[in-house]
Amino acid sequence: MLSKNKTGWLLLSPTILILVLAGLVPFIYVLYVGFFQWNPLAVDPSLQFEGFASNYRRLIFDEVFLESIWRSIKFSVVTLTIELSLGFILALSLLSSFPLKSFFRSVHTLPLVIAPIVVGSIFKLFTVQGLGPLPHILKDYFGYTLNYGLNADQAFWMIVIMDVWHWTPFVTLTLLAGLSALPQDPYESAKIDGANNFQIFTYITIPMMVPVLIVVIFIRLMDSLKIVDEVWMLTGGGPGYATRFTGIHIWKEVFEKRYYGLGSAMSILYLYITIVICWVLYSVMVARGKNED
Amino acid sequence: MRKILFALVASIFSFSAMAGGHADWFKEAGAPYKGTVLQGVAENTPPGQFAGEVLAKEFEKLTGIKVQLENTSWDQMYDKAIKDMEANSGIYDFVYIEQDIVYDYLNRDFLVNITKGLADNPDLQAPGVSLDDFTTFIDYFKDGSGDVFGVPMEAFIKVYLYRKDLFERADAKAQFRSQYGYGLTPATSFDQYRDNAEFFTHFCAEQGMECWGTTVQGHTGHPASTYEFLESIAPSFGLYNWGVNMDTYQSCVENGGQLNGGRAKAALNFWTQLLPFAPPEALQSTWSEVGSSFAAGRAAQGWVYGENAAWIATDAEKSAVVGNVGVMLPPTAPGVMTQAASGNGYIGYYDGGAYGIPHSSKNKEATMLWLQYVALNEHQADWAIAGGRITHKDTYADPKVMAVDEQADGYFTLMRDTGYLYAGAPPYPFHGAGRGAIDPFIYSALAGEMTPEEALDGACQALDTVMADLGYQN
Repeated sequence: MLSKNKTGWLLLSPTILILVLAGLVPFIYVLYVGFFQWNPLAVDPSLQFEGFASNYRRLIFDEVFLESIWRSIKFSVVTLTIELSLGFILALSLLSSFPLKSFFRSVHTLPLVIAPIVVGSIFKLFTVQGLGPLPHILKDYFGYTLNYGLNADQAFWMIVIMDVWHWTPFVTLTLLAGLSALPQDPYESAKIDGANNFQIFTYITIPMMVPVLIVVIFIRLMDSLKIVDEVWMLTGGGPGYATRFTGIHIWKEVFEKRYYGLGSAMSILYLYITIVICWVLYSVMVARGKNED
Repeated sequence: MRKILFALVASIFSFSAMAGGHADWFKEAGAPYKGTVLQGVAENTPPGQFAGEVLAKEFEKLTGIKVQLENTSWDQMYDKAIKDMEANSGIYDFVYIEQDIVYDYLNRDFLVNITKGLADNPDLQAPGVSLDDFTTFIDYFKDGSGDVFGVPMEAFIKVYLYRKDLFERADAKAQFRSQYGYGLTPATSFDQYRDNAEFFTHFCAEQGMECWGTTVQGHTGHPASTYEFLESIAPSFGLYNWGVNMDTYQSCVENGGQLNGGRAKAALNFWTQLLPFAPPEALQSTWSEVGSSFAAGRAAQGWVYGENAAWIATDAEKSAVVGNVGVMLPPTAPGVMTQAASGNGYIGYYDGGAYGIPHSSKNKEATMLWLQYVALNEHQADWAIAGGRITHKDTYADPKVMAVDEQADGYFTLMRDTGYLYAGAPPYPFHGAGRGAIDPFIYSALAGEMTPEEALDGACQALDTVMADLGYQN
């Protein structure tokens, strides 16, 4: 038994080593740096210890940082809601047969394989005022002026649309896999009992899909909370602070302004908030699942 | 691209001509480093492309040292270079040093002292390369003792470009005079600039032309807009060095600075009020898009970086306004020109950059050879034609350059004769942090979320906080 354990640990050791080096060590370093004031552009560019909580205390009163968190949460909730709704509808549609289904499924999946920075570029080329086709079409046919360099709401919603376009296929595919694997017995029983489609969806499909939904929600939630690339390309965080999500804000503080200590503390605090949100969501979903059982 | 090819052909001739001159020396000096691969990272500008596509190939042919120059976007260039130098990883053997970042790099001791490096290795000192050949732009890359840390590879001034064909139209002249009561000419004052902008916006619309009155480098999420304000608009109103009091490192008026003073507010008001007369893409335009907009004929006038001025005026493959570009000094407020001439101010940004060697480079000697190759007088004329840049004094007098100068409405002559009125960025080691603090306020002013007055009040407080944070204030 002991020998078997040793072999197991031996086989696992490369993975553990990589995880420690690539995950744990940088995390501990960021945690450590977060306790210091450190900006290499300062008169004294060395690490200055001003108490364990100094950066965190500062962040609690940092309106721009707190607003960026609120903005990111709002963005995540909005995109998640739309992506889940659309993804579910598309997944259910793809369960049935219709002409050109395979073609539609392939085309629908294409955005998934595009790198986020390229998605940002595509949307920029498509929507930039004066040169992109979308503002022309909206102006000429609907009298609507699209200028997200000027209008904060438009900038926010443009990024929502971009994220939905990019990631709904992921939600669809995952839910489709889950739906395809559901047992058929409960459906047959429900039909015999006279349940209508809405009742079947509400009382059978959704509860049975909870494990898949949890996975999808967590992956998308964590992804959307750390969105950077697409936003960077499309709006750069502007106009003003309108699309400065926390990821962008941390990037600007760390790489433009070189606040390494403060930026590290931001990262840790944001990670903590992300974990708390996920934990609360998980608890609610699991508790609800148990109640329904 | 055609210009690069032309330059490539031309440089083959100059390369052949050089064979009798410095080629043998480079061949011999490069022999010990044959097979070495030098990695560099720079901003993707026309001069950078020439260095990567023409000079690097010639150098490899001559010495066997391969130069891989990664020309990338401005943001990526900084990101890659700084991360490499901070981590001391030695990925890059040479990096592009933009003039405004050099104080940061020197402060953090990222760069090799080239003067000392060559003095310590006389065998690496190439004949025909003299630092005295450079224009005064090289001074920006020297430390307090006069040692050089970067070899200039591009230098420009930010000029006022205007569309000659539009300004010379008889119907436009007549209409302008009847509307404004004076003659239509390129702007020499801000009021005139604004009138021109307003006039051409309406005139173009009436004529069914896709053009507007002025460019505005007004991206509401990219530092390019802050740079246009701080480096071009504000100095022409007489606000220098970001309005920072360089004795106390304070920028708010109440603390002795000027960033939220009368001149600054007048400048920001003037600039933001140009937006209705700018192409719709103005709020998403960095320096590149401004150049492209002007080249596409979408603006009648504007402040345009010199790196774009030459190709806009001469490259018919990329520009729709070749032959119709006028070049002048930008308008200035009363007194600014006098201050600039006496060295107490400046009218705009003397832009450019150099190649420097990070301490982390693993091939310093071979890189020194490359940088000296780049600095040879022989390349400068073709490089100026391909990239619109001049770093050597003698280049101005080269017949090929003079011919292009004529096509570009005297851009090179203007640079030679008035370059002293311009200045590089102020020597702030906290450049990135300071500018980063100002950015959101400029973006908000452009987006109309704040008045110019509110934006500058906020910007100066944010900048003061940064300077205090970093220990610069007494």
